[in-house]
Amino acid sequence: MAPSLFRSPVQLPPADALELSKQAPAILRSFPSTVSSSAITDLFSAPENPELWLTYENLILSSLRTGDDKAAHGCLARLLARFGNENERVMALGGLVKEAEAANNGELERVLKEYDQILSENDTNIPIMKRRIALLRSMGRLSDAATALVQLLDFSPTDAEAWSELSDLYFSQGLYPQAIYAEEEVLVLAPNAWNVHARLGELQYMAATASGAGGGAYQKQMAEAVKRFSRSIELCDDYLRGYYGLKLVTGRILKDSAKPTKVTDEGDFLLPDTKTTERLNQLATAKLAEIVRHSSAQDRGWRGYNPAEVAAARELLSEDSSSGVVR
Amino acid sequence: MTLISKAITGIGGLLLAHACYSAQEHSALQSFRATSTATLTSSSAVSTSLPIDIVLETIVSTFIILLGLVLGTRPLRPIEWRVWAGKIEREGEDGFKDRNGEVNKDYVGNPFGIFESRPNFVDIRKQRKEFAEWVKNGEGQQGR
Repeated sequence: MAPSLFRSPVQLPPADALELSKQAPAILRSFPSTVSSSAITDLFSAPENPELWLTYENLILSSLRTGDDKAAHGCLARLLARFGNENERVMALGGLVKEAEAANNGELERVLKEYDQILSENDTNIPIMKRRIALLRSMGRLSDAATALVQLLDFSPTDAEAWSELSDLYFSQGLYPQAIYAEEEVLVLAPNAWNVHARLGELQYMAATASGAGGGAYQKQMAEAVKRFSRSIELCDDYLRGYYGLKLVTGRILKDSAKPTKVTDEGDFLLPDTKTTERLNQLATAKLAEIVRHSSAQDRGWRGYNPAEVAAARELLSEDSSSGVVR
Repeated sequence: MTLISKAITGIGGLLLAHACYSAQEHSALQSFRATSTATLTSSSAVSTSLPIDIVLETIVSTFIILLGLVLGTRPLRPIEWRVWAGKIEREGEDGFKDRNGEVNKDYVGNPFGIFESRPNFVDIRKQRKEFAEWVKNGEGQQGR
């Protein structure tokens, strides 16, 4: 079944994107090329609805991805006809089309100059600002992108998406403390987001393993990771990613606990005692086994998991049993 | 499930119609009797209240209709956050279909997924390149 056109297609696998973009010509044909927004013509023609514009937007994204530039231009023309070329969101989409079609660095620079030009007229044009940052990052100018992103967050500090992008940008450069700080800001804005909790746990775990075992910072980060994964499970029943992380982190802590650890004076970040950690590990193992079993059997009500994630969980479980560690 | 609920609602509807018809006939009979007896003897008082069986039938049939309608409703959405979130993760689209097998229009998957997909920051050139490679590899596999 084709994925819904009302959802953002950015993270879909290539096959689904292809399927979506194949629908584009049919959709362009089936809807009228201009929709009037005046009340009188509304009586005679089909009324416009927000889903239509969302569909066009998502079609632009997936057809640019599959290289169907004609369909993208068709959708963009309709959005332009309806909202005009002064609309910030449509401006960003237009920029996106130009970026995708740019053949060399010179053309990209020209697109970048256009963005600068737009921003010099109105420097609070957030969609264009985000495009500019994405383009800078795409061109490999990471520090410029970070500066621009910090500038954006300076005047729009409640933009969780931008904080999340900043975190990812820092993470790609290996700056773990900064990445963790930015991800924590996302959490401040969306405290119930279970995937952000899991993401923060992953960042803490990666930061801890990168800095090496034994130190006080290591313990603190591992304890934080356990807390984050536990919270993500608390917010979401049977969360595969959360249980996977919890098992990974507690397994590592148990392995480390054989070695003597330094006692730190930061009381609130102490690791839980060995017994608690063992029980957490057992719980995560049991839950992961249950999820893998149900999901491989394609049981009713267990088909929502990503097959790649289930395969990774199975691998983690088999690693555990093959190494002979029975916990 | 739906057939049962429809059948129960239908039976309830029939009973209610029957009760209404009985009440109407009863009142017609009463008025006929009143006019016919009035000419003979004007002293006998005629009771005008409905018989108990018609009242009971009306009430019971209303409850049967209600039962049928309640049985036919969509499965209720979870109201606890973690149950709802777990349903999204565990069942995906399957958990949010109506009776015709269509996914609900307002279903968006994990609503916090945008913090990880970040559609406004999408790197379209990278996505294009990856897609082109996917096509190349896919065709390569088919050609073999």
